[in-house]
Amino acid sequence: MQDTTFQQIAALAHHHSGQDLSPAKPYLIEARLAAISRRESFASLDDLAHCLTSRPNKRFEAEIASALTPKQTQFFADRDQLERIVTYALPEMLKASNTGRLRVWCAGVSTGQEAYSLAMRLSELEGSPLCQADIDLVATDLSAKSVAEAQAGLYSHFDIQKGLSVHRMLANFERQVSGDWLICESLRSRVTFRQHNLLTPPGPLGQFDLIICRNVLPTMARDKQIEAVAHLNAQLSPKGQLFVATGESLTGLSEDLEPSRSVRGAWCHSQTLNETAAA
Amino acid sequence: MKHCLIVDDSRVVRTVAGRIVKDLGFTVSEAGDGASALQRCQAQMPDVILLDWNMPIMNGIDFLTSLRRSDGGKVPVVVLCTNEKDPDHIGEALRAGADEYIMKPFDADIVRSKFDQLGLV
Repeated sequence: MQDTTFQQIAALAHHHSGQDLSPAKPYLIEARLAAISRRESFASLDDLAHCLTSRPNKRFEAEIASALTPKQTQFFADRDQLERIVTYALPEMLKASNTGRLRVWCAGVSTGQEAYSLAMRLSELEGSPLCQADIDLVATDLSAKSVAEAQAGLYSHFDIQKGLSVHRMLANFERQVSGDWLICESLRSRVTFRQHNLLTPPGPLGQFDLIICRNVLPTMARDKQIEAVAHLNAQLSPKGQLFVATGESLTGLSEDLEPSRSVRGAWCHSQTLNETAAA
Repeated sequence: MKHCLIVDDSRVVRTVAGRIVKDLGFTVSEAGDGASALQRCQAQMPDVILLDWNMPIMNGIDFLTSLRRSDGGKVPVVVLCTNEKDPDHIGEALRAGADEYIMKPFDADIVRSKFDQLGLV
């Protein structure tokens, strides 16, 4: 891959998804674009870059940007954080809610395991108010392909065994003739999957009481992180909480968000924290 | 350091699984069938057992049933690691005393994930 090709693809990724591609890892670009290259019969990424220049196509550019984003995910990736969400954060929000309805958004879910993990955990809370609550669980990803896979709820032999206990696998999935495992309809119907780019201005999705955005922001260039966080902030309800992955921080990315003083790992509107402290 | 006994009639599987488990910080020993695995457990009970199902002399389920009835036999964490993928078979293994279940083929990520869920790493 020529340097000019790398720079062209990196610029495309930065523009469409905010992704910061390291020049030290050209093999990642080659690996992630291999399927598209084969499908379109490009002999090399240099040919692909030439095609982008000679025949600009917004959909193709978006597809390439989407293919470059990392897809790695698994069920119950951060069990401790998930427990804090379902045993403390959400119940407290439900108590404070006037409507008995909560909106939760899992952003950047790739093929859906994170959202289904939350749905599974919520379904296990028999007898708790959260189990009866009206929870609108929305999950999004930049990639239309990943969203389609998530909606299908069909997982391979390898994916089903990562993060998921055998007990949950048997309780919530059905083995198919193909050898893949299909999530049960009651869980699949609990999650609404949409394609969404964190860099697009907020609006269609509405506001959420709880947003989970794990392992997405660190892949972005700093200017795009700030842009994405601004959008997440705008979509967080006044008393909402935003969770990023353990080890991630929003410090320096937004003046409007601060670490929650009551829930480890959660970020809240600074104004809400100050109002609570003053009360 | 915790000890893992790998029980499988395939030398290749024992070797591959052994490398994965050693990378997770375990010492490893091996047995090629359920009967010799029982002898090893009687000599020194391991902390974890990775257990195949279909083996000569004594299969995995018979070994597991005997293990759980033996002195100290309830202690080891047992992970079935087998080609059997039918949910009924998986249920049978759990009822016999397995703590977790890995369907072959497996990779290091799957073993690590299962061991992590069991609190072993």
